[in-house]
Amino acid sequence: MIRCLILMTALAGTLLAQATYKAPRTWNNQPDLQGIWQARTNANDSVEPHTAVLGMSAGAGVIVDPPDGKIPYRPDAMAKRNANFKNRATADPVGKCWMPGVPRMTYLPFPLQIFQSANYILVASEFVHNYRTIYINGTKHLPGVDFYNGDSRGRWEGDTLVVDVAGFNDQTWFDRSGNHHSDDLHVVERYTRTAEDVLSYEATIEDPKTFTRPWKIALPLYLHKEPNFRLLEYECHAYLEDAIKDGSK
Amino acid sequence: MNKWLASSALAVLATVALMVAQEPPAQQDPPKEGGKGGKGGKGGKGGFGGGAAKAKAPAGPFTRLPDGHPDMQGFWNAANNGGAVFEVQNHPIAKRGVGAGKGAVVDPPDGFIPYQPWAKQKAAELFESHMDQEPELHCFQSGVPHQNFVQFGFQITQTAAHMVMAWEFMHSYRIIPTDGRPHIAEGIHLFQGDSVGHWEGDTLVVDTTNSNDKTWMDTSGNFKSDKVHVVERLSPVDANTINYEATIDDATVYTRPWKIAYQFTKVLTPNYEQMEFGCIEGNQDVTHYTEDVGGKSKVVIKPPAGKE
Repeated sequence: MIRCLILMTALAGTLLAQATYKAPRTWNNQPDLQGIWQARTNANDSVEPHTAVLGMSAGAGVIVDPPDGKIPYRPDAMAKRNANFKNRATADPVGKCWMPGVPRMTYLPFPLQIFQSANYILVASEFVHNYRTIYINGTKHLPGVDFYNGDSRGRWEGDTLVVDVAGFNDQTWFDRSGNHHSDDLHVVERYTRTAEDVLSYEATIEDPKTFTRPWKIALPLYLHKEPNFRLLEYECHAYLEDAIKDGSK
Repeated sequence: MNKWLASSALAVLATVALMVAQEPPAQQDPPKEGGKGGKGGKGGKGGFGGGAAKAKAPAGPFTRLPDGHPDMQGFWNAANNGGAVFEVQNHPIAKRGVGAGKGAVVDPPDGFIPYQPWAKQKAAELFESHMDQEPELHCFQSGVPHQNFVQFGFQITQTAAHMVMAWEFMHSYRIIPTDGRPHIAEGIHLFQGDSVGHWEGDTLVVDTTNSNDKTWMDTSGNFKSDKVHVVERLSPVDANTINYEATIDDATVYTRPWKIAYQFTKVLTPNYEQMEFGCIEGNQDVTHYTEDVGGKSKVVIKPPAGKE
């Protein structure tokens, strides 16, 4: 009940901010989402509500639908998730320094920097120099691609950037807990700047091969305001090599 | 793009090496310093990138952004400048995996990197015996200025405060603030270094420090230290051409600063987009590369966990 009240208060606060805040405009008269943003959630450990285990703090998860906060897996997919969880120390693709996929790139514990041009929006992550190009020029998904980070096509709905992401492979996870998907994954993201320093992020996730119904995550991204804050580098594979060479891995 | 090719820098490097072995890249004179209207990139027989390097009718003038600076946004290709993608300096005689070419060095005039004697020897040894250490083989970002002449093209994005260059090759990027901010703290070393830019007329001048010593100047063993200081100048010539030069200074490796120069050529293919380029995700075949391309030393990396 208390959690429910807190959620409702937070929601009311968000709605109020949304009602009063209007994002500045870019050169191209788009709502300006530019800046360096970062999630504060530990959804990268698990997107579901979870108890702490060694190396993972407890968390409420980021799933807002279904209301129980759990991924609506098909039975076989649930079994696979459980096996993944057991093998997570070696099987997590991000642990192998692979591309993180979408939406995971958004809530990795690394900053993101957004740049806007007339026909596309570039989202750069500090994690292994991943970047996404979100085309907003009316083009359609490329046929037949299977990208780790998917193929992103966006459009503006008022001040909200809506991004349709398809063309995934089945090689990425949603988090370190083995939550997974097939190559039928389809993600629709919504980005709304609700305050000067808050970028509201939602993603609806569907994959009939893996889930019984679509589900949805929501989390805020926060603007970095430290002076001269920059994306630096986390060149995971280079450090992995060093660790293998010096025998620590 | 073939998934497996795209997934492996190794495969691409090996393929390129094979192509070069069969057919050396076409020569191209670097643009004259301060020259206008350059030659606009002769077609490379190697055939990299988005098909931009064909002779075309003269392009119109470049346009400007709302802040008055030149608009250099678009897809560009800078590979195949005298074979610099393989060896940045003059390499008049073909050698294993590298066809003869002039490279991109315009100063010193002989086109050779002015190495200190020990460094010249080290570069030769890297090529002869340690190609297994070639950084791109390990999926490392290429560093500055090497990043600017890797195979495949890149996209330039400009905003009021930044220029961003995003490559297809290994999804590398460089974010260059142009709002007058200082470099990051000394002691932070990055594969791509730390770049800050400022405008001198229509030329974007980019100053790069904070590099690490894990990248090479090309794929043939030419190297630098983490003390390297690079100043690049990007000067648009017309809508489809940018003159590029970089002055490279590293008193621990070279006897004096040296300079490369060449052109970026716009990719004019309609509806062109960059594809996703995996590298570490499929990089498991270092052994064959080492055996084929040469390298007496043993491979030092293992496949990623779970892929043995």
